[in-house]
Amino acid sequence: MTVVAFKPRLPGEGPWRAAELKQIVDGLAAPLNDGDAGGWDVGVTEVGDPQFYLLGRPPQDECLLCISRLGRLYVLEDGRGRVLFEHNSLLVLAEQARTVLRKKKSQIAARVALVWCAIRQAFEEKLDAVAIEGEELLTHVVPQLGVLA
Amino acid sequence: MQFARAAPEAKELRRRAGAWLKELRGRAGLSQIQLAERLGLKYYTFVSQVENGFGRVPTESMEAWARALGVKPAVFARRLLSFYEPELHRLLFEVKE
Repeated sequence: MTVVAFKPRLPGEGPWRAAELKQIVDGLAAPLNDGDAGGWDVGVTEVGDPQFYLLGRPPQDECLLCISRLGRLYVLEDGRGRVLFEHNSLLVLAEQARTVLRKKKSQIAARVALVWCAIRQAFEEKLDAVAIEGEELLTHVVPQLGVLA
Repeated sequence: MQFARAAPEAKELRRRAGAWLKELRGRAGLSQIQLAERLGLKYYTFVSQVENGFGRVPTESMEAWARALGVKPAVFARRLLSFYEPELHRLLFEVKE
């Protein structure tokens, strides 16, 4: 009988384990369910380190956040290669990922509010100018109408 | 008014961009780790993210990528634009006056 000796896989090696993936997906359930993220995918680096990609909404499906495992370390990056966080606990990292997404969302909301205020202010200024013009017109026309009457 | 339907193929184009970058890196004889070192990245994982077609090379670092891969920055940026912003590329370089 031939016995094949399998090399036991070390904790920080190989593709994502089901438990790890579950932790990540559970940790990011809120943005996935709320529609802030469109889905997720996985991949590997050239040397086999696993990566998890949190994707934006279709049709672009661009990477919002990327979690990679390098040895025992988990690294959180955005879609532009900025390292946002690194930790050896996936739970802590997923929490951080949620925080990053929440911040992004509130930044977008703040920008929308700012644009809205600017539009409103510009509209009100125009409206004020029209009203003043109208008033001036009335102050000129009314006395003349009075004379005519 | 007619809008160009660039979006549905965005994912596929990013994947093609990634394959092209991987080919360039291979020609330059660099590993993902070595390229990341040349780009001054802390980890090499972003190179993989881009090559796998999920991320984009940011505009501000296109020149560094081009030089690290031994390509002229203008040629590099123009080719990437054809993947990332095909409609803009078409208007800039393909539409004749």
